[in-house]
Amino acid sequence: MGTTLEPRSKRVARFVRERFPIEKLDAQSMIVKKEVPLHKMSWAYYMGGLALFFLLVQIVTGLLLLFYYQPTVSDAHASVATISEHISGGAWIRNLHAWSASAMILTVIVHLFTTFAMKAFAAPRELTWVSGMSLALLVFAFGFTGYLLPWNQIAVNATKVGLQSVEAIGQYLPGELARWPIYVRETIQGEPSVGQATLSRFFAIHVIVLPLLTVGALGVHLLQVQIHGMSRGVDALKVKTEKFFPFFVIKDLSVWGVAFFVVAVVAMCLPFDAFLPYPLLEPYNPLGSTPDGIKPEWYFFFVYYPLELLPYWAVIAGSTVVGGALFLAPWIFARTTRRTLTVLAVAGALYFVVITLFGHAIYEALKGGTP
Amino acid sequence: MTSALRVFVFLSIAVPGYAHHEFQTFVQAHSGRPVNCAMCHTSADGPEGTGPGQIGSLDELERERLNRARAAFDPSPVVDSPILNDFGNLIVARLGKRRILELRSNPAVLATELGNESDLDRDGIPDAREYLEGTHPLMRHHGAPLSLFAHELRANAFHVVMLGLATIITLYGLISILRGFALKMQAAANAEDH
Repeated sequence: MGTTLEPRSKRVARFVRERFPIEKLDAQSMIVKKEVPLHKMSWAYYMGGLALFFLLVQIVTGLLLLFYYQPTVSDAHASVATISEHISGGAWIRNLHAWSASAMILTVIVHLFTTFAMKAFAAPRELTWVSGMSLALLVFAFGFTGYLLPWNQIAVNATKVGLQSVEAIGQYLPGELARWPIYVRETIQGEPSVGQATLSRFFAIHVIVLPLLTVGALGVHLLQVQIHGMSRGVDALKVKTEKFFPFFVIKDLSVWGVAFFVVAVVAMCLPFDAFLPYPLLEPYNPLGSTPDGIKPEWYFFFVYYPLELLPYWAVIAGSTVVGGALFLAPWIFARTTRRTLTVLAVAGALYFVVITLFGHAIYEALKGGTP
Repeated sequence: MTSALRVFVFLSIAVPGYAHHEFQTFVQAHSGRPVNCAMCHTSADGPEGTGPGQIGSLDELERERLNRARAAFDPSPVVDSPILNDFGNLIVARLGKRRILELRSNPAVLATELGNESDLDRDGIPDAREYLEGTHPLMRHHGAPLSLFAHELRANAFHVVMLGLATIITLYGLISILRGFALKMQAAANAEDH
């Protein structure tokens, strides 16, 4: 064929140049001339913007909660109760924070499945995909760290279970690596048991570390989306398009408006805590026994129920393989057809929906009792 | 010795805290939700012990209140036991302790006898229904989700309408601004072409 092997440094330089083309780094290319494909899956293009909108709601409501929240084991629960019961609009803001967090994670998951099915990770959009996967991980980390902050029974006990799961990975690692999960747990936990140091660290991670990482990852993600545009998403060679500005932006904004109205009404009329048994909402009692019904948030059910039903090593191995494959999707699935990717995405989405909605029933049917 | 005094002495010795687990067991089985003593008692761990709201921690005045409440064998206008919360005191006031003891063998009837008039936390769900559904009758943000949503939607109808109007007006304004920008950009592009 006559092709010569390109030196690695040149390949890297070319890769970076193609992902960040200087000639496209202007408003003309990124906004004015940008076109958005129109086809039966076009609705999926709104998922990323919707996730961004819910993130903005998180930032605004989170900032307002910061004015009253006290990150100490003695006052955290009382300060949350004060926000909900005595601060004007406090219950609405807190519910808005909780509901929009769930909405954000749901939207991120839908965005992940749809972009996978549409092969939106194909070159030159590898960095869009990898930064998006990083954002998905960050969103789950936000959920995990935020869960502890109200310092109630379910928060502390679920966090303990989560941290123990991290430590348990060590038994399957060789040599000195086996101690790493212990170091990770100790670093996050900050003291022998979940206590003030843990709360302080979770708080710092939730309000400083994760937001900073998110800004970085989101910056790369949005820049890549604007430079390379939305992927065509379907196999058809000729696809109708519409102008990104103003038509797509106006539609995107309208979706934001509807989403805001829905989540604001739900936050006003349906307290997030109503779904939990009230003993789990009581202040954490370090001397008491662990109450019944301790569970993570619904968006962790996809890994929680398998952990309760299957051997630990199987779940960890499965999660590592699936997580690794997702991160490296642009290279692993480079030659896979959209049809195959759609089948994989539908299977993944079905698994997620079934385990989230029926995980408890499946557990009862297979093992009897509750996890 | 009167019968009331005999019951009082018996209860004071045999069940000093009047923690009636039959009700808790029934509610958990009926509702499928875990519940604890905090539904009726001040302390989530029940009345016995030395923690806050438990018998061992009561001062002299609170012990007097407890003794007065312990004497409420029949329905009475006000019961103010320091080991019971408002819902627990309401149950004793409405039914009297004698009836409560009788209902231990049939805890479902407690809801019927309480009636649907009382809603201590004003969440739109009667206390008796909250008892059956295993939700807390004193927590305004706790109740069966659908009932709570329906009640709050009715209560906040004005806010919901105003929120809808505000959203529509804001969207209209933002979209108009974007259209204005788009027109200006188009005009600038046309001028450049000429």
